[in-house]
Parts: sequence; structure tokens; C-alpha cells
Amino acid sequence: MITLNDYLLVSGLLFALGFAGVLLRRNIIIIFMGLELMLNAANLSLVAFSRFGIVNGLPNYNGQMLVFFIITVAAAEVAVGLAIIVALYRARQTTNVEDLNTLKF
Amino acid sequence: MNTALNLLHLLTPESILVETILVVLIAGLFKATAQKRNMLLSLTLIGGVTAGAMLIFQPHYGNIANGMAVLDPLTRFIKVVVLGLSLITAVYAVQSNIRQHFAEYLALILFTAIGMMLLAGTENLLMIFIALEMVSIPLYLLAGFLKQSSASAEASLKYFLVGGVSAAFLLFGISLIYGTTGATSLRDLAQSAPAVTRDPLFLAGLVMAIVGFGFKVAAVPFHLWAPDVYEGAPTSSAALIASGSKVAGFLILAKFLAIGLAGAAGSAASSQLQPGWLPLLAVIAAISIVVGNLAALSQSNVKRILAYSAIAQSGYMLLGLSATGGTALISVLFYVVVYALTALGAFGVVLHVEQRRGGSQLHHFEGLHQSAPGLALCMGVFMISLAGIPPLAGFFGKFYLFAGALGSASQGGNLGLLWVVAIAITFNAVSLYYYLIVLKHVFVTPATHPAEPVTRRNAATFVTGLLAVSVFAIGLYPGVLLDPLRAAAQAANRKPVTAAPVQPK
Amino acid sequence: MSYDYLLLTIFLAIALIFPLVPLGLAWLWARTLSPAKPGHDKQATYECGLESEKPVQIQFQAHYYLYALVFLVFDVETVFLLPFAAMGFVNIPVVGFLSIMLFLLLLVESLVWAWAKGILEWK
Repeated sequence: MITLNDYLLVSGLLFALGFAGVLLRRNIIIIFMGLELMLNAANLSLVAFSRFGIVNGLPNYNGQMLVFFIITVAAAEVAVGLAIIVALYRARQTTNVEDLNTLKF
Repeated sequence: MNTALNLLHLLTPESILVETILVVLIAGLFKATAQKRNMLLSLTLIGGVTAGAMLIFQPHYGNIANGMAVLDPLTRFIKVVVLGLSLITAVYAVQSNIRQHFAEYLALILFTAIGMMLLAGTENLLMIFIALEMVSIPLYLLAGFLKQSSASAEASLKYFLVGGVSAAFLLFGISLIYGTTGATSLRDLAQSAPAVTRDPLFLAGLVMAIVGFGFKVAAVPFHLWAPDVYEGAPTSSAALIASGSKVAGFLILAKFLAIGLAGAAGSAASSQLQPGWLPLLAVIAAISIVVGNLAALSQSNVKRILAYSAIAQSGYMLLGLSATGGTALISVLFYVVVYALTALGAFGVVLHVEQRRGGSQLHHFEGLHQSAPGLALCMGVFMISLAGIPPLAGFFGKFYLFAGALGSASQGGNLGLLWVVAIAITFNAVSLYYYLIVLKHVFVTPATHPAEPVTRRNAATFVTGLLAVSVFAIGLYPGVLLDPLRAAAQAANRKPVTAAPVQPK
Repeated sequence: MSYDYLLLTIFLAIALIFPLVPLGLAWLWARTLSPAKPGHDKQATYECGLESEKPVQIQFQAHYYLYALVFLVFDVETVFLLPFAAMGFVNIPVVGFLSIMLFLLLLVESLVWAWAKGILEWK
């Protein structure tokens, strides 16, 4: 039987992996994928909480509802982020975060 | 069915803004003429002012779908403020060097305004996240609007990456809080939070949510994006990031902590430390004040000075938030509104200098009192207000804030937060140095730049002057701002729907 | 966790081992036994077994990404039509119907805007 804790474990792992990707990788596109992974980890835990948080015999649907909105918000974020990356690439010909050094002390 | 109509009624101002966006976008498609930018701006202003007027004729109280959209006098006040700040930014935008896609720029400002208004008017975790993203996503684009400028694109990308991570943290925190308490509205959360204050999952969620908010309000150690974004973004965008988004961010952080999690506060008093969000907040506040003020000392770009000053000011506001109960919320809101007006005005001066002299380094400000005496005077008012010198508004903001923190009943009464307040006052003295350095360049250092024609009046300088006058007026009569805030907060607490005022622990 | 997943675990392990062992052996073989002999043909880009005629690493125009981004947003917005469909297109209150129509109207306006901006024209 899969319990709530199993879902939370997976979601926590996904979140950690995504965060590690954001921190460790140098390519903006991959950092970006890490970001999406973090959002989806939150989605997973929301759905799990919603499914297991039973009140009066019904799951608590608020969490599942939020997931719909998160999916669209994430898509909007992806669109904006990719647009920014394209703009940056045209200005700088790079997708490596270590080359982002125009703005410094 | 009734709910939908009520919702439409409650969100009429926001709907008007959406319609304004549609009109502005369509109007922007027509062939460009010399007058077009002014025409677009007046469309925006007409829409914005109509929305503001609608706000005033709204029902006094409302609470729809378990706190998804709420309205009370305090919320309404903050909504008017953020709308006004956004419209001022739009006026700045006309003077800035944004030439292409101007209609879209205005539309994005309005989108941000809608997001901030929704954020101010919600007491539900789901809506908080969505509204926060509605603020952030247009701001990423506003920061990167000068596509050809590599600094702007870089600032935008940094803002985006940091904002995305913070959103993910906030969301994960919200999901854990939701999971452990089963509540999404802040009022429900207040009921069920005390039962789970020792649950590690709940505490993890709380910390992650505070980390997420900490990124948004640029508190140390989550501040690294702010200087780069303020410097690289177009000045009018930076002004909006510094003013409007800060007001909305602090209001929602205050609501989240003081309404939703009042039971999990703990204590940061030096004599009786208890785990909870208060000690966390007090520590973040202290570090922000120290780091922000020290880092600002070595800057040579006025936008970066303003950024680090903003980080330090965030620290002061967090300090105010960690003094719950009594009049603390009022003093924080007073402070944040005054700060927003001041920062917006300072960015107005920076905008002028940037347009005239091609940069915002300190040496670009030299001899400003000769070429634009009015603006130089305004800069003086803003800097001195930021430094917290009487009789300007910033002084009263800091005074109420520190007094509130010292007298905070929830901290065990007797000066429990003295340690943070002591740090704050010490470093406020340090901050005087860099504010005065700016003023020295404005007033004392002779101009090394070639003389330029005396400034013609335009809308942006007029608005900047107006902001300076209002900062001055609030300094002379703090009641101008304090009384409406106080009345609004009292009225908000009296209302029957959400009759539970925040009980100090 | 119970024995429910024991079978699956074993299956997963086997499924991993079977492809990995030959790959590892092949890698060992290549590293230790076979000499490295890069040549013109070996280095050539593989293009359907024929000689490649043009540079293969072409750059897409930025316009291509604009297409993709517009598609992405419109694609995901359909999520909000799901409740509409889940109601079976009947029993929908008037206000609900109107609000979904309003939503579609907004999508149409954004499409019109994108069109007028020239994003949908291939240059």
C-alpha cells in the first residue's frame, strides 16, 4: 500500500533534485528544467495531500484545484523565461550563467 | 451563480483594468505617430483613475469563496496605493528610453497592478500564490524590456531565476502547510495551526514559505538579485519593483504571518526565546539591516545604492513585522507606504539624470543643483527621508516602527526586542553616510559635465515634485497618512465576517 | 512497504542490469582492446548514410521560438476548458457559461494581437 509518506518522499526528492540542478548546473536551459522540477514536486505533494486529506469522506479538493492553476502559471513562466533566454542569447551569444557578468560591483 | 456575480462586483476595479489593457494593446497596434505614446499613456491613466474611483464606491466589506477575494477598508486603502504607484510608474515610462512596444510596456505595468491589487485583497493561500506570480511574471518582462541592452536582459534573467526559485519554495511551503493543517484560507489556518506547531512537516513548510517571501522582499540572505536588477532594468521598471511590489509583498507577508500563523509565532525576546517564525524574522531583519547598510557604503552607482538601501529598509520593515500585536501592523504599513513614495521619487530623479547625462553613476549627479534645482531639492528630500531625519516622513516611519518593536506586548513586554532595535538604530547612523554622499554629489561637487540646457518641465518631473511634496507633508503632519490607516485598520477589525482580530499571544 | 513491490523491484533491477552489462562490456572492449583510429569517414556527420552536403548545425531563427512560445501558452490554457467539458456541456449555469465564453474571448483577442504583431508570419 502506498502511503502519504511515500508520495511526500518522492516529492521531497524531486524538489531536492530540482534545487540541486538550479544550484549546480551552469547551462541556463538546464537550470530552467530544475526549476520546473521544483514546481512539479510541489504539485505532486499537493495532489497527494489532497487525495489523503479526507474530510467527511471526501478528498480535500482545494489542492487539486490549485494544481491546475500551477500548471498554467508554470507554462506562463516557461514562456517568459524562454523569451528572456532568447533575448539574452541574441545580446550575448551564450547560455552559460558564468558569462553573466556585466552587472557587478 | 450568486458567487460569480458577487465576485465580479467585488473585483470591478480589476476588471476595468483588464479592459484598459485590452484597449491599450489594440490601440498600440495602429501606426506609430509622434503623439502615440502620450495617447497610450492617457488611455492608461483614464482606465486607472476609473478603476481607482470604482474602488472608492465599492461595498465596504466582502469575503468571497473562503477568503479568495476579500475587501475591507485597509485592503481598499492598500489597493488604491499600489494602483497609484503603478500609474506613476507609467508616467515615468513615457520619459524613459523605451521606444519600441510602448503599448505592451504599459499593459505589463497594468498587469502588475492587477496582480498587486489581487494580492492585497486575498486571504487564501491558493490565491496568494497565483497573485504573487501575476505580479512577478510581468515584472520579469518589465525588467528585461530593453531587449538590445545586454544589461537589461541579464538583469531580467537573474530576476527570473531567483524569482522562479522563490516561487517554487513558496509553493512547496504552502503545500506542506496545506497538507498538515488542511486549510487554505488564512482564517482557517489560524484555527488549525496551533495544533501542529510541533509537526516537523509544518515547520518545514513555514520556513520554506518564509524563504520564498524573503526572496520576494529582498531580505538578506536572499537579496543577491536586487542590486543587479535595480541597476540593469529600465529605470521605470526598477521603480515599480522597488515601490509597488514591495508594498504588496509586505502586506501579504504581514497577513500571512499575523492572521494565518499567529499561533505559531514563538518569541524572539532575548530573555525567553521560543521557536516559531518570530525569532526567524527578527534574525533575518537584523542581518538585512547590517548587510544592506554596509554594502551600500562601497557603491558608486546610485541605483545600486538605492538597491542596498532597499535591502536595509526591508530589514526595518521585517523588524516591524516581528513586533506583532497592537499598532504594529499600522506602523509597518505606514513605513512601507512612505518608503514606496520616497523610493519612487528617488527613481524619478535618477530617471531624469539618466536621460540627460547617460548614466546613474555618482558623478553623473554632480552639479545637479545648477541644471535642475527643483529636482535636486526633491532628491534632498528623498535621501533625507530615507535616512530617517526629522521632520520628513521617513523619520516618523522609523519612530513608529522602533517604538512598536520596543513596546511589543507579545515579546514579553519589557524591551524583549531591544537587541534588534539597537542594531537597527546603530546602522541607521551608518546609512546616513551613503545618503549624504549622494547629496554631496548633487549639491556640493561642481559639475564636470558640459553644461546642459535648463530642464523643461514634463510630466515625470512634475510627478517627482509631487512625491517630494507628499513626503514632506507626511513628515509635517504624519496624521495625513496615519489616520486613514488607523481608521481603516480599526474598521477592518470591527467587521463581522472576519471578526477575529489578531490576538497577541 | 510490503511484498507488493518486491516483484517490481526485482524486475526493475533486471531491466537495468540487462542493458547495462552489455554496454559496460562494449565500453571496456573499446577502451582496452580496440585502438582509436579516427578517420575522415568516422568523423563525418551521419546523415541518412549519405555524405552530408551542408553544415548540419544550423541555427533556427528566433522567429521559430516565438511560434513555439505562442503555441505553448495557448496549448496549456486549454486546461481551463477542462471543467467546462467535465460538466458534460449541460447543466452549466448561465454565469459559468458566460465566464468561459469571456475566457475564450480573451484568448481570441490575444491571438488577434499576436497576429497583428506579425508573430504568426513566417519570414
